[in-house]
Amino acid sequence: MKRLSLRGWILFLFFTTLFSYGQKKEHFYNVDKEVTVKGSIKEIKMEPLYKNTSPFLIVILEEKKTKNTFNVEISPVWFFDHDFHQGESLVIRGSLYQSEDSAQNIIAREVQFSGQILLLRDKHGFPNWRGGKGQTRRKWRRKKDFS
Amino acid sequence: MKKKALFLFFFLPLIGIVLLFFVLSTVNRSYIKTKVEDLVKEQLRSTAEILKANISHYLSEDYKADEIFELYSGEENIYYMALLDDKKNILGWRSQFEGYLPLSRQTIGEKESWVIDSPVGKIYNFFSSFTAPDNKNYHIYLGYSLVNLEEMMAYSQRNFIILFSVIAGIGIVFFLGIYQIQARYIKKEKESEKEKREKERFREISAFTSGIAHEIKNPLNSLSLLLELLQKRSSRELREDVSQGRTEVQKISRIIDLFSAALKPMNLQKEKFVLKDLIEDIFESLRREGFSESVDLQYSGDKEVIINADKALMSQVFLNLLRNSLEATEKGAVRVQVKEYRKKVTITITDSGRGMSDEEKKRIFEPFYSNKKQGMGVGLYLTKKIIEAHQGRISFDSHRGQGTSFSIQIKGE
Repeated sequence: MKRLSLRGWILFLFFTTLFSYGQKKEHFYNVDKEVTVKGSIKEIKMEPLYKNTSPFLIVILEEKKTKNTFNVEISPVWFFDHDFHQGESLVIRGSLYQSEDSAQNIIAREVQFSGQILLLRDKHGFPNWRGGKGQTRRKWRRKKDFS
Repeated sequence: MKKKALFLFFFLPLIGIVLLFFVLSTVNRSYIKTKVEDLVKEQLRSTAEILKANISHYLSEDYKADEIFELYSGEENIYYMALLDDKKNILGWRSQFEGYLPLSRQTIGEKESWVIDSPVGKIYNFFSSFTAPDNKNYHIYLGYSLVNLEEMMAYSQRNFIILFSVIAGIGIVFFLGIYQIQARYIKKEKESEKEKREKERFREISAFTSGIAHEIKNPLNSLSLLLELLQKRSSRELREDVSQGRTEVQKISRIIDLFSAALKPMNLQKEKFVLKDLIEDIFESLRREGFSESVDLQYSGDKEVIINADKALMSQVFLNLLRNSLEATEKGAVRVQVKEYRKKVTITITDSGRGMSDEEKKRIFEPFYSNKKQGMGVGLYLTKKIIEAHQGRISFDSHRGQGTSFSIQIKGE
């Protein structure tokens, strides 16, 4: 994963807060549009996605079968402590939405990689990093098929 | 009543009361919870209606959905809100949690309000339609935090648990206390009943054996007289044998006397006397018997200790104990110490004799138990009986090779 220096992070956070943008119409975890996509990482990015929050880890995923590309929204960068690499295989379960520029986006709920599954949101799309009562820990489980 | 039955007799009502309290309290809390929930939902519904009216007003003034939601960004209790057109397409939305808007087209519209669980607590969902002044139909979707309600319920639950624990704890202590008192009373009653039966049995045996002793003593006396006559009239060769026979008959008679004395109920003839005088008399008697040649008899203690007791029986007590001490002591002293404290007199007889074995310590007060060749084994048994008849106590402390100490506690004057 690309790494930034501390100064870089501070500047990054400052600008993301300044230029944070509003929530787009379809940009929410829509439980009616859940998909599972298998692919490999083409690119890794960090972008501010929600107003007044820290930047998110975005993975550009190329689907194996169709070669379609998806922008996968993982979680705030601070919540994710695994190093992704270009070409690494992932299985993503999440909610699909199309942005105004017709790009295919996925808000990830579960990410399967390296024999593990990282749980990012609950079944309604509630983000695990915001879970109350000390539940903001990363939730991992052993690799199984997505249930 | 058996112990188990007694326990259940006290324990079951306790369980019943605790259960009744638990059930009534739970029903009551459940009722209050439902009522409070209804009240809160009603309140939220009213708030939502006001919100709906305000949004309708903003729409009529050409505000965009995002701009309207921006006005409500300070509302901490509204977790998320969304505005939908008449075809339920989302026009705009806002959420306190990144991307979290639990809106499903499959379920919206079925109910006006429903509650969902989330990691931050229960969320009250409200979905309703309205018509704006421009006659366009809209839908509004809101998610209200029920954290305050949950906190209130948790507080109530916590208080209930504390109260329930305290009441159950007090109840258990109270009922266990009553159970203990009752169990002790029943135990004492049983002991008293047993003692009564024992006494009755002892009385019957005493009467029976006294009768037998009396019947044996008469022929024995006759036999003794006959042997005395025979001794006088018989030849010199036979005289010694007859004398021996007479001694044996007298021995049997003495055994029967001791046996009768042991079984006879105590009839105390109490009188006040100076203890020291009695003990000095016994010392003198023992010296006459030749006991005190190599062993010194010593008295120490308060001079004028007066007790109210049966003098003859107390004399027998001290005679028995001192004789035993003297017999057990080859050389040294036998000491009698008398102390009076708060109208309680303690007499301690200490010897420097051979001491007692463990077996002797266990059986010393048993009737007809003796480690002496000529002993009948009734001396200490009678001693204990006499002391107990005076409401007193007798105890001893003995160490092998170091001596024995008997201690008698008896009421003073």
